[in-house]
Amino acid sequence: MLTLDNLTKSFQGVRAVDGVSLSFEPGQMVGVIGASGAGKSTMLRLVNRLSDPTGGRIVCQGLEVSALRGRALMAWRARCAMIFQQFNLVGRLDVLTNVLLGRLNKHGFATSMLGRFSDAERTMALEALDHLGLAQTALQRADTLSGGQQQRVAIAKALLQEPEILLADEPIASLDPRNAQTVMEALRRINREQGITVLCNLHTLDTARAYCDRIVGMRQGRVVFDGPAAALSDRQAREIYGVAFDEAFHEAMTSTSLAPAVERAPALAPAA
Amino acid sequence: MSMTLAAAGTAVPAARERHPEVFAAAARRKRRFQIALLVLAAYLAWSCWLFEITPARVFGGLDKMAVVLRQMLVWKDMASWDYAGIFEGLAQTLAMAFLGTLVAALVAVPLGFLGARNVNGVKLLRWPVRRLFDLLRGIDTLVWALVFVRAVGLGPLAGVLAIMTSDTGTLGKLYAEAVENVDRKPMEGVRATGANAFQELRFGALPQVLPVFLSQALYFFESNTRSATVLGVVGAGGIGLQLSDRIRVQYWDQACFIIVLILLTVAIIDLLSRKIRERFIGAPGT
Ligand SMILES: Nc1ncnc2c1ncn2[C@@H]1O[C@H](COP(=O)(O)OP(=O)(O)OP(=O)(O)O)[C@@H](O)[C@H]1O
Ligand SMILES: [Mg+2]
Repeated sequence: MLTLDNLTKSFQGVRAVDGVSLSFEPGQMVGVIGASGAGKSTMLRLVNRLSDPTGGRIVCQGLEVSALRGRALMAWRARCAMIFQQFNLVGRLDVLTNVLLGRLNKHGFATSMLGRFSDAERTMALEALDHLGLAQTALQRADTLSGGQQQRVAIAKALLQEPEILLADEPIASLDPRNAQTVMEALRRINREQGITVLCNLHTLDTARAYCDRIVGMRQGRVVFDGPAAALSDRQAREIYGVAFDEAFHEAMTSTSLAPAVERAPALAPAA
Repeated sequence: MSMTLAAAGTAVPAARERHPEVFAAAARRKRRFQIALLVLAAYLAWSCWLFEITPARVFGGLDKMAVVLRQMLVWKDMASWDYAGIFEGLAQTLAMAFLGTLVAALVAVPLGFLGARNVNGVKLLRWPVRRLFDLLRGIDTLVWALVFVRAVGLGPLAGVLAIMTSDTGTLGKLYAEAVENVDRKPMEGVRATGANAFQELRFGALPQVLPVFLSQALYFFESNTRSATVLGVVGAGGIGLQLSDRIRVQYWDQACFIIVLILLTVAIIDLLSRKIRERFIGAPGT
């Protein structure tokens, strides 16, 4: 069980995460929703300690995560994998090596400086890639893949960490709808088949409803909704998103559906 | 609206009366240009007087140049030339440039990381590294060579040390700047797996900067082949020594042969390094 207790993060006066208390049962798939700037990314980065809290605690099975330092902190990051909106792969390395980076925490100085991974690890990486339908790209440079493929490579890398928790910060925000669906399905399969807890920041409500057991709604750093997806009413959704509600609520909020709004703009210039 | 040039000619006085400032500005520009020309001419005349440059010396020199040039182009007694000495000198110069650049490039990698703001956040540790770069590269390779010839004696070792020293400074500075320009996202992606700081640099940063490191080192090897030639003249041996010896005794044909050899060598290295650069920058590395 992962528990956030009154977790707070301030940036020069701005409380990006403001006294958040939440508990996550192992094996849950949780969608974190909220308008831009609500503090979703900040919260996820606090959980795997890419960023340090300014207040409150994070506890996982008796381990005080918020107090970890040095090796223990790195071991925690290995247990708690993270994937990013921009994938954050090393573009110049091949796909297989990118996936193998998930094993770094288990390596000493010499083997990692030389980039030596064992055949067992390579097999593990290939299996993970195969699982995500990417085994044939193993020797390709990571930056030659499409966005959706890169995100799946990032998931394979996360799987090599053999994590208990998978954090995903807007994993589909840079993807087209079809790739977004593939990635979300991969996340859900991992959650169901391997029992890994998935904490996923999502921009849109419908994605969260479609894939998550539980939804946490954030607004201005605070949790304003926490419950099963079905229990989220329109009124509550409106409260989470505030003025951005219409944007987030409407189905298929993609860049293409924004196009008409842009096209309307020239109408301001009167045809003479 | 439009008028012909002839019509414009008759309209000049009227235009001048209506827009005096336009015509005054043109006149001012013309006067300023004339003054600049005068100053330049005076400066050139003064220089000629200062350095005792007289037409007789210039044309006398040209005459001698023509003689030298003719002697350069007519290669005599080629069978008696000391080819072994010449090619050994060339090999020595190449070895000097290669070894000096290689060691400098290797030393510059850790120093470059230490001197990069995004890697070494401690200003007190970064500052001495940066100043060391400035010191090493601020002194020309030739000066380092003179110093090392004193310290370790005549010969290629002094040349290697000279190249190594000054290039550690320049490459270190360039490498540090390359490291400061890396994309942070891959590094964060590596850190998030539970990697330590060294692993993060090795896998998140190094693949991004390695092609830059390599291509800069290759470029320096190429330019060091040229400077190693000059180092030979001040006592570091190699082809430079062979060349200066022949110029001293006015064997212009052999001097020309050596110059052609140097040009060819530099051209070949240029070609090879371009090929290697293309290959490495294009290919996946680990
Ligand atoms: N490194 C930082 N320095 C200063 N302020 C920050 C920093 N990171 C985040 N913030 C602020 O914290 C608040 C929450 O940001 P956060 O990125 O967590 O929001 P988010 O919910 O992920 O938004 P989005 O949907 O746009 O990604 C914002 O007001 C942001 O400006
Ligand atoms: Mg965010």
